[in-house]
Amino acid sequence: MAIGTAPAAPLTPAVFAILLSLAEGEKHGYLIMKDARNPQGGGIHMGPGTLYGSIERMMRDGLVEESGVSDDERRRYYRLTSLGHAALAAELSRLDAAVASARSLGLLPHGGQS
Amino acid sequence: MSLPALTNSRLESIYSGALRLYPESFRYAHAESMRQTFRDALHDASLPRRQLIPLVLRDFLTSIVKEHFSMLRDTFARPALVFNALVLAGLATVLALALYAIPQQLLRRGADDPQVEMADNLVDQLEQGTAAENAVPAGKIAIAHSLSPFVIAFDDQGHPIASQAALNGQTPTLPKGTLDYVREHGEYRFTWRPGGATRIAAVVQRVHGDHPGFVLAGRSLREEAIRQIVVKQMATLAWIAMLALIFVGTAAFGWYTRPKVA
Repeated sequence: MAIGTAPAAPLTPAVFAILLSLAEGEKHGYLIMKDARNPQGGGIHMGPGTLYGSIERMMRDGLVEESGVSDDERRRYYRLTSLGHAALAAELSRLDAAVASARSLGLLPHGGQS
Repeated sequence: MSLPALTNSRLESIYSGALRLYPESFRYAHAESMRQTFRDALHDASLPRRQLIPLVLRDFLTSIVKEHFSMLRDTFARPALVFNALVLAGLATVLALALYAIPQQLLRRGADDPQVEMADNLVDQLEQGTAAENAVPAGKIAIAHSLSPFVIAFDDQGHPIASQAALNGQTPTLPKGTLDYVREHGEYRFTWRPGGATRIAAVVQRVHGDHPGFVLAGRSLREEAIRQIVVKQMATLAWIAMLALIFVGTAAFGWYTRPKVA
């Protein structure tokens, strides 16, 4: 993907979980991993290799960037770029449409949580 | 030694050692952060070690393969590098085809030389009034097996009147239209397949004068076919060698111009 263009949906589970975690604000690696592990964060059990491999590619694609702020020189904090926000919004919209479709087919209860 | 028996610092040390297996550029960019993330995970009471260790091990094995593939792609599959390699491979292919086609054509055309002289001589004799039976040497040549050149004289209607050539005991017949072409153009040089696998380098010329007709001089192409196979093998070897050189050169160039660690 060229820098400056939103990635084509769907995003990989790891990329989606990282974007979702960083939507709350700047975070370091382990906090992102922990968020991703939660069911609300995507339920993705990823380790440091997958996390930093994904972050490397997301930085190259312009979705996230290092914030430059750190409480510990060994920790790096990351944040979403505007393109990252757009990519997350597009993915959420896609998922929302899929969920709505599933509800209309009676696969999910109306008005409740899946 | 069971996992719980390993101290956190020992596990960190093992993980730090394992990080050396990642590609250099990835390691340089993220090893310290990965070590810190692993350290944070070890100190997280909500993540039992019996879950953490298999998770990290599985992640390590899959991500290390992925990052090495990514490194190989960044090093060797850069568009400019691939484009140059494809252009060079295309040139090598054209060159190899020329190495095959040019000698093949020269061999085939060279195979006509003795027959041209034989046909010229026979035409001269027939136009000076020598009878075809006397001008055509006596004896039969089995053209399916023999490498000896031979001649056939035809009358103006295309019927053989004297022949050295025999195929299955008969004088072989020319392809339809051959003599009409010679009647119009004076000469025709072609590869004649009179039957079976026999291939003949044939030259047909027009005879003018009081007794017009045609003469054919021919010779088996068996030896030329063997030489053409040798040429084809040498051209194929040259092509493979050029492609191998391009591959090695591209790989070496890709490696030395790979994105360097700052």
